[in-house]
Amino acid sequence: MTFPHTLTLAIAFLMASGTAFAQEPTPGSGIQIEKVVPKIESGKWTGHRLEDGQPDVEGHWSNTIANHNNWTDPQGGVPGDPAARNRPQKPRNERAPSRVSDPPDGEVPFQPWAREVQQDLLAHFHNPTREDYVEPLARCAPAGVPKSFTWHGYEIRQYPGYVLFLFNSGTRIIHLDGKPHLPDNIKLWNADSRGRWEGNTLIVDVANNNAKARFARTGEFASENVKIEERYIFDNGGQRYNYVATITDATVYTRPWTATIPAKRWGVNEPDNGWHYEAQLANNPGKPPVAERYERICVENNGPFGNVAVLAPKK
Amino acid sequence: MSAMNRSSLSALLFLLPLLAGPAAAKEKIPRLSNGKPDFSGIWQTTSPADYDLEPHSTRADAPPGAGVVEGNVIPYLPEALEQKKKNFAARDTADPRAKCWTLGTPRGIYYPEPFQILQRARDLTIVFQFGQSVRTIHTNGTLHPEVTDNEFWLGDSRAKWEGDELVVDVTDLTDETWLDRAGNFHSTALHVIERWTLVDANTIQYRATLEDPKVFSRPWNIEVFLHRHREKNFQLIENYCFTLPYERFYPVPAKAE
Repeated sequence: MTFPHTLTLAIAFLMASGTAFAQEPTPGSGIQIEKVVPKIESGKWTGHRLEDGQPDVEGHWSNTIANHNNWTDPQGGVPGDPAARNRPQKPRNERAPSRVSDPPDGEVPFQPWAREVQQDLLAHFHNPTREDYVEPLARCAPAGVPKSFTWHGYEIRQYPGYVLFLFNSGTRIIHLDGKPHLPDNIKLWNADSRGRWEGNTLIVDVANNNAKARFARTGEFASENVKIEERYIFDNGGQRYNYVATITDATVYTRPWTATIPAKRWGVNEPDNGWHYEAQLANNPGKPPVAERYERICVENNGPFGNVAVLAPKK
Repeated sequence: MSAMNRSSLSALLFLLPLLAGPAAAKEKIPRLSNGKPDFSGIWQTTSPADYDLEPHSTRADAPPGAGVVEGNVIPYLPEALEQKKKNFAARDTADPRAKCWTLGTPRGIYYPEPFQILQRARDLTIVFQFGQSVRTIHTNGTLHPEVTDNEFWLGDSRAKWEGDELVVDVTDLTDETWLDRAGNFHSTALHVIERWTLVDANTIQYRATLEDPKVFSRPWNIEVFLHRHREKNFQLIENYCFTLPYERFYPVPAKAE
């Protein structure tokens, strides 16, 4: 089974990204809603609860800062972008902080060899002369952990024993029942997740990561040995949460480090904006509006990225 | 004991199993707090339906199967039957499943890999292990989209309860999915009516009527049973098989210093 078109496609996309691409507004446009990370403390949950006692965080969410162009300078575009319009318009201190919230310098604490690899991946992002230079999401691969939280909006659904994430590219089931992780030699794009609620915080232990997904177009990566502890800290107002992940991998980094990604809820009364919030209103005449998420497909479209399978009206 | 009492008692004893039977059966199936049957769980058919919906003998790429089509034969229109034969001849490469594309409806249900149902009062979410594709069956009284030229890979599913039976109306389907590995197919005019019934706590009777006036001469029916996975700690293991052609280029090999 071969897919000779996938690399071609990925390259075609990368070339297109220098000019215009419907899903990729330039820095400063719609995706970048905010440039600050609000403070949300772990503590009690005073908001609505579901029947099984979980804090009710169901609904549509998206990060407020930027897409996956750049991990440590989220509103800085991809360094080396040949298109001037994709370069940042504001100085660094007027852009959002690094997603690396610890160490304080905002840099991923790569070991020297790994820093070299990351720099090489970045240097070839716009001209991927080797297969491994192609950012896997451009081939329709799942965005993985943690990149999925910076790639379009997503929906959270909750059930007794589970939290389900429906991402633009990929699906992730968080198990709350405390069962053991899968055997260590099973490696997965979206890893294997065991979660528990402590007050307003969903704490998820992430193992079995195949580490094939990258964190951003800037080439940051982990290895199959990576362990991630995620803390989803929900504000009691129900409109915000911060994703705070501690990432440990002694084969790639000099120390554990922390990523922080702020997110906001999108509501049924907000219009579809084509990136953060891509829900449709149900056909529900005479009744209160209901937001629905249509299916996502990607590889079937013979094109890159997760897409809604809805076609434009036929001529 | 008087004769009357005795006969009343025998009548009661005679009626008891009749009264207790259905009531006892009802108690055995799991239910949501709203009283509706709870299909939550991980399910899989043991039927060889995906190899060929119709009866078939052993062949190199399929175990034998008695078929799951009521009346055995899919009622193709003449031209469509020719297309089906072409599909069958080219099935090794032409089956969308071979590319790990989303299986479609109803194929995802009887494909031989597990799927998980996660259920709320407003909907049932089906996560298929194969491709981790996600289908939502709406049970909140909403209607199919007003736009009628959507072409979803899994269709648009709106359901209602008929007693304990979940009746799902599926429209807005693409014509790019197949119904099985034998090349059985449909057009965008496919309309599927599914009937999901928990016959006991661990078994779903799944019936579907397929109508497609561009491909079939009349509606036809299939039936398979789905069994709950009860192995300890059983879970879906994501199968993003569409990444297999390029996954060898990732990840960056680890090398500790």
